Amino acid sequence: TSQSKQMGLQEVIPGLTSARAAEILARDGPNALTPPKSTPEIIKFLKQMVGGFSILLWVGALLCWIAFGIQVAQGVASAFDNLYLGVVLALVVILTGIFAYYQEAKSTNIMASFSKMIPQQALVIRDGEKREVSAEQLVVGDMVEIKGGDRIPADIRLIFAQGCKVDNSSLTGESEPQSRSCDFTHENPLETKNIAFYSTTCLEGTATGMVINTGDQTIIGRIASLASGVGNEKTPIAIEIEHFVHIVAGVAVSIGVLFFIIAVSMKYKVLDSIIFLIGIIVANVPEGLLATVTVSLSLTAKRMAKKNCLVKNLEAVETLGSTSIICSDKTGTLTQNRMTVAHLWFDDQIYSADTSEEQTTQSFDQSSQSWAALSKVVTLCNRAEFKPGQENVPIMKRVVVGDASETALLKFAEVILGDVMGIRKRNRKLAEIPFNSTNKFQLSIHETEDPNDKRFLMVMKGAPERILERCSTIMINGEEQPLDRERAEAFQTAYMELGGLGERVLGFCHLYLPEDEFPDTYPFDTDSMNFPTSNLCFVGLLSMIDPPRSTVPDAVSKCRSAGIKVIMVTGDHPITAKAIAKSVGIISANSETVEDIAKRLNVPVEQVNKEDARAAVINGMELKDMTTEQLDEILINHSEIVFARTSPQQKLIIVEGCQRQDAVVAVTGDGVNDSPALKKADIGIAMGIAGSDAAKNAADMILLDDNFASIVTGVEEGRLIFDNLKKTIAYTLTKNIAELCPFLIYIIASVPLPIGTITILFIDLGTDIIPSVALAYEKAESDIMNRRPRHKKKDRLVNEQLAVYSYLQIGIIQSIGAFLAYFTVYAEQGWLPNTLLGLRVNWEDDYYNDIEDSYGQEWTRYQRTYLQWTGYTAFFVSITIQQVADLIIRKTRRNSIFQQGLLRNKVIWVGIVSQIAIALILSYGLGSVTALNFTPLRVQYWFVAMPYAILIWVYDEIRKLFIRQYPGSWWDKNMYY
Amino acid sequence: AVWASVEFLGFLCSLGLGGLSVCLGCFVCLVFFEKMAALNEKKTCSQRMENFKRFVWNPDTGQLMGRTLINWVWISLYYVAFYIVMTGLFSLAIYSLMRTLNPYTPDYQDRLKSPGVTLRPDVYGEGGLEIYYNASDKNSWEKYVTTLHKFLSAYNTTAQHANINCTSEKYFFQKSFLGPNKTKYSCKFTSDMLENCSGLANSTFGFPEGQPCLIIKMNRIINFLPGNGTAPRVSCTAQHDDFSPLELQYYPVNGTFNLHYFPYYGKKAQPTYSNPLVAVKFLNITRNAEVTVVCRVIGTGITSDNPHDPYEGKVEFKMRIQD
Repeated sequence: TSQSKQMGLQEVIPGLTSARAAEILARDGPNALTPPKSTPEIIKFLKQMVGGFSILLWVGALLCWIAFGIQVAQGVASAFDNLYLGVVLALVVILTGIFAYYQEAKSTNIMASFSKMIPQQALVIRDGEKREVSAEQLVVGDMVEIKGGDRIPADIRLIFAQGCKVDNSSLTGESEPQSRSCDFTHENPLETKNIAFYSTTCLEGTATGMVINTGDQTIIGRIASLASGVGNEKTPIAIEIEHFVHIVAGVAVSIGVLFFIIAVSMKYKVLDSIIFLIGIIVANVPEGLLATVTVSLSLTAKRMAKKNCLVKNLEAVETLGSTSIICSDKTGTLTQNRMTVAHLWFDDQIYSADTSEEQTTQSFDQSSQSWAALSKVVTLCNRAEFKPGQENVPIMKRVVVGDASETALLKFAEVILGDVMGIRKRNRKLAEIPFNSTNKFQLSIHETEDPNDKRFLMVMKGAPERILERCSTIMINGEEQPLDRERAEAFQTAYMELGGLGERVLGFCHLYLPEDEFPDTYPFDTDSMNFPTSNLCFVGLLSMIDPPRSTVPDAVSKCRSAGIKVIMVTGDHPITAKAIAKSVGIISANSETVEDIAKRLNVPVEQVNKEDARAAVINGMELKDMTTEQLDEILINHSEIVFARTSPQQKLIIVEGCQRQDAVVAVTGDGVNDSPALKKADIGIAMGIAGSDAAKNAADMILLDDNFASIVTGVEEGRLIFDNLKKTIAYTLTKNIAELCPFLIYIIASVPLPIGTITILFIDLGTDIIPSVALAYEKAESDIMNRRPRHKKKDRLVNEQLAVYSYLQIGIIQSIGAFLAYFTVYAEQGWLPNTLLGLRVNWEDDYYNDIEDSYGQEWTRYQRTYLQWTGYTAFFVSITIQQVADLIIRKTRRNSIFQQGLLRNKVIWVGIVSQIAIALILSYGLGSVTALNFTPLRVQYWFVAMPYAILIWVYDEIRKLFIRQYPGSWWDKNMYY
Repeated sequence: AVWASVEFLGFLCSLGLGGLSVCLGCFVCLVFFEKMAALNEKKTCSQRMENFKRFVWNPDTGQLMGRTLINWVWISLYYVAFYIVMTGLFSLAIYSLMRTLNPYTPDYQDRLKSPGVTLRPDVYGEGGLEIYYNASDKNSWEKYVTTLHKFLSAYNTTAQHANINCTSEKYFFQKSFLGPNKTKYSCKFTSDMLENCSGLANSTFGFPEGQPCLIIKMNRIINFLPGNGTAPRVSCTAQHDDFSPLELQYYPVNGTFNLHYFPYYGKKAQPTYSNPLVAVKFLNITRNAEVTVVCRVIGTGITSDNPHDPYEGKVEFKMRIQD
């Protein structure tokens, strides 16, 4: 009748006309969630232009132009140098801005392409005929048809439903399938049975309904827009970079201002002092660094994407590394998200079944006759079926129509017996009573496959206690034996034990109907139940669980050794949650909860000292009544925590609690309701397969395989990149001193300028870029997964030691090496160091064309300028050569370079080669381009700084040696960065 | 010796000391900025001040700027030692650099292939060298005359008495140090060789008459042999020949630099060497008009066509004489 009813329905309701639908579509807009309000592109772009060091460089450029303006007014010939420098500085800012913007846009695009991967289709009735349209095209008033497996394309009021069940877990957190019908049962739309919600899935059955809300008007759309209200916290690495920018900017500005004052008080002209100031700013600001950091992060993001961690927000790459608490979902993340038979009980014995992902056989003892009987019941009393056409698919991966338990049983039987459908065909089903909540059992009656056996076989499964009630005998070793008290107790023990493991237990029984009473033609009627349903023979128990993924226990123990606390937050029962927590190691084997201790000591729970219990299982109900202090106490006192029966909203409370402990919190989630928690978390991790779009939108990272173990690789990468960024920054900061000292000496000692501003830019944005990115490829020095996560407020990216060691030790050695090259070039051309002192004013005088050098020769202005450029080039080359040494020493912070392996990171060598190649090209290739201020340098000057490069290496090896030898010593504290 | 002069050692020491003090200052600054950057969190002003006070002096731990006093002493000692070693290394390197240098000739002279040429009086205005004056206004030309007198004072007989009289018209090669105090001889160039432009007979160098004397000097380059055996000579031309061609009188005759002043052996070998000069007397400068004059030194090995260097082998200047 339902068939005809549906047919009739279609005839009556022709649906909207295409024209009307188009009209409504134009009015309401497409049926899709508006992505969270994004900042206009132009604002994003401008933000890149003023962030970080950009302001300083803008100031530099502005000062350049001011100087240019004044000099032009004064008619100074070299005024245009300042104009060019200003333009170059502005270009640097704009280019790095464009680069950062491009990087950001690229990572956003990954996300966009990701969400477009699964275009959703809906079956809609329009113009009186059924057609497939994109779900985005649905409008209010459309009639849509849904069937098991479909995603609901909009909020729909059902007008026809047959056996329709929906999974509302992403919306409400209810993990049980909810049945849907046409009946209006509740005022609250969330409660009533006749509304199916957008983005939930129809698990089974079919339904037809009318679209009542589309897009943002849907319930899910409203929740999603609420979630976007939760503010986005700054990522830890963003805080670190800001911290670092403050340090460098502080140093730049204060040295700049200090020397401006010094210069003015040394009777320099204010204009000259401004030009010095520009030089100091340019020398101090690592122009290429922020771009380098971005590249390093995106390299790591790429690497992580290969390992199934898709990073939406580049900075989140590092956040995972500093994570100290992971609040993980259970279903799908820690577990395989499918029911699987875990234990069997027959012949008075519990057998365990294989629950791994790729099972092909089961190894428990299958010789008993009882097993034969049990397997028959399992096979026959089951309505689940494989979808056809999957013969070549591994059993575990086949798609099944049916609920979770039946699916588990079907697959279990298929693995052991093979061709379940064939068996069912041979044992033809005559009658069937499906499972319902009043009976709590399911039964079916079959012919047997033995042609000589004319009896019918009745098989039944259901809640164990209900099944047992109906049995009078029990099968032991293939023989029926009376179900006496002893046997019943054995059953109870087994049932309790399996239940205690958090598993869903089903009982199985059968009965061969006597041939004489039930002849071939007996009319079985399921309504009147004209067959016996008691005094059956109990065959066995099967228990099922959603088993943990095989990789998870290892991943959890890795997290533990990495000092990361894993907290399970689940909507499931405490018992199941605890069982899974125990099996994956979230609660370790020898830890006890307060309740466990109470049970062991046989005392009331209140008398147990809470501090004795390492583990805690908190029920959502308890959590509801807790004050924040109580929650904090739990989070501090227990190292192994499971939150069970929590609503997704409570996740937010838990996350906030963790953040109060100064922890960096990672949260995994998939539902729409998780999105506030995902946003609140320092890093939200959404599930790529099970996750809803809202969750993916709110998250910073997406696990493409929904696997917890992927988080661990993410943590490892995150920690590695933090260490490597430290190295990159240390490397980059070092040469700032070698770039800054020339200006200071120039001002103080009035020597000809050792290195020009443009030349400095060639180091910062030329030779140094590839090497500093190369450090991102450096392997970890030790097992980074064996140390605690960094403390958000104590373990800084750029700490005092790093800045001081780079600036005041290695930087100074570099400056000395570069100055030696400078003095050598001048001395060998006739200008001895003592002549150079105080020479600046005459040297730079355009009208002084016969200055005497130390040998009595006379130089014109241009001859001097050319020599000055040679000095620039020598200084530049020396810094480059010493940066090679700097690059090598930065490979490690503690280990010797020889422990780390000089050749292991090939990219470093690419960096070194590029560095030298760029220097060669600049000197010999572009040496004739006047504007660049490079000259072809004599070969021997390339080697002047070499001893200092070696000194840097040796000095750093000694430093590392002492650090390794005397951990915790004064040296370690002051020299380890 | 001159080469490792006290002056330079002093410079190195002060560099080291200055570096040290600057660096220690920087150190404190860095610690300070580290702290300040860390303080940059959402806190009230008073909290920040409180935190900052605690940072400067923490009475609980006895820490001054994040370190105990003894810790400061240690770190300072370390840096003092580090900078002493670094200054030492640098001094050593400079010292050995000095040792490798030849005291008489620089190792390389590739930047001085061709000498620069300068003009006296060297008075610069907005457009370079400018000789602008009013013949009847003494004030307007007096500065030129003073400059010339001052310049030529190095060429009076007393100043030149240490130099020898040379008569040869050839390069004056000296292989060995025959002069006093192991030097080489320098040839005398006295101002009277400039005859009418010597400032001796006419102490106003012809300025009031509107026929000024200007002096052309060629820059010294060690071991440079101009002219390949022919004495280089000065030739001045008006750049725009709209006017009648310049009538000029060169002193010494023909405006040549006598070859016996070359080669120059450097300050250490020829401490009393003075550049030979050529004086040019402008006889027919058009009054009340600006004349751009280029004076080149003509001779093999002297180039005057370097686009970047306006003073290489030539000197350009503007003249305007008013009535």
